[in-house]
Amino acid sequence: MRRVILNLHLAIGLAAGLIIVVLGATGAILAFEPELDRLSHRHISYIKPGGRALSLVEIGNAISLKYPGESIIAYLPSSAPDLSTQVILSRGIVSVNPYTGQVLGLRTRGQSFLGVVRALHVRLATGEIGRAIVKWSTFATLLSVISGLYLWWPVKRMRIGGRLWSARFWYDLHSSVGFFSLLPVVVLVATGTVIGFEDEAKWFIDRVPAARAINKGESIAAPALKSERNQISPDQAVALACAQLPGAVTSRVQMPQFGGSYVVGLDDRQSRFTGEQNFISLDPSSGRIISIRLASSLSSGQRFMALNDAIHTGNIWGMPTKIVALVTSLLVPLQAVSGLLIWLRRKGFVYAR
Amino acid sequence: MKLLLTLVLLITTGVMPADLAGTWSGSFKPEGGEHDIPQLITLKPEGKTLSGSAGPNAGEQYPLENGSINGNKVRFQVTTGEWKFTYNLTGEGDELTGDLKLESPTESRVARVRLTRKKN
Repeated sequence: MRRVILNLHLAIGLAAGLIIVVLGATGAILAFEPELDRLSHRHISYIKPGGRALSLVEIGNAISLKYPGESIIAYLPSSAPDLSTQVILSRGIVSVNPYTGQVLGLRTRGQSFLGVVRALHVRLATGEIGRAIVKWSTFATLLSVISGLYLWWPVKRMRIGGRLWSARFWYDLHSSVGFFSLLPVVVLVATGTVIGFEDEAKWFIDRVPAARAINKGESIAAPALKSERNQISPDQAVALACAQLPGAVTSRVQMPQFGGSYVVGLDDRQSRFTGEQNFISLDPSSGRIISIRLASSLSSGQRFMALNDAIHTGNIWGMPTKIVALVTSLLVPLQAVSGLLIWLRRKGFVYAR
Repeated sequence: MKLLLTLVLLITTGVMPADLAGTWSGSFKPEGGEHDIPQLITLKPEGKTLSGSAGPNAGEQYPLENGSINGNKVRFQVTTGEWKFTYNLTGEGDELTGDLKLESPTESRVARVRLTRKKN
């Protein structure tokens, strides 16, 4: 039995080792994706807070002065006092100081370093084949971790002995790191596997009798748009939407010329996993609420996936769990490399010191 | 005779502007994506330019930007928010097919699009 398990552990390591290294390295970067993205655009992301925050209409006026005749597609209000407000235009995303109305800069659309990292992590920067390889490699890694625990159990090695870079050193490193990182690695890889098999997971959870969706949302025809002069302002739309979910913070205001109605996104920070998934649509002429999609009406499958995503990305408890996700992501490639070195030394490809 | 020959040539070589006006429905799937995304597009050709709207359904429509027509080929853009969609399609009968480029501030992806004319 042990021989079979060892061969399985080895085969997964050799077959998926390189993919595991790529997923771990890119995952470590993605754990801090928003922070790195802001840091790489810090001159337009960070502001000095102070004074009264401008209304959306005032911010819109500042945009019109800088980009005359350009329609505003959506506002993404600042999520923290020291962060800029984003205004989406056809030409790109403009950052504005919400206290002064100063236009800080324009960001155009296109591939960035973080976009490449994300594409590598999700689909090896290729198409469906890459996505399938990632999905099955993640599942194989889960089997590898479980088989690793089985192999570790009789030895129970928990400290590193031997000279640096010796055969003993690599074996002990692989065993000790494998044991101490077992729980976070299992959580990271299991949640990654669920993301890979998202459709199957949702299908399964939505079939649990008490877990059906309460309200799957509705699709209705958008009201005919009248001229902008006869419309309520985005600030009025926000006030009407916020009254539906007191205490929530506005995260997005989609303008009615782009989509057919005002769509106000609300972030309910009391709801840790699904807090951002509240959307209220309003008739731009009358301010009448057209539809309400609240996080509380998500199906159990959707809630489960949101929780699973929050665990996998480390967002679940903020900075501490993001750091755990970062360190764990780096330990996964270390295990793949140390495992390979053990095998190479045993096969005589690398001489042991 | 010359006029007839010219017309036959124009029709057979596809230089004649195709009748692209109307509502088209179908879907696209980004490369490496898991799901087909529904599409409902209304095209209003005016000479060499194109206006109209596009979106996932009748309740969510976005205006076409920079629309142009060249024979049976159409090019237009749609901005829904962070994402901008650039369509390059070719019309043949009741079918519009081609490529779509999707761009966000961090990502760029491609997709194949297939639309069929929606009968009234």
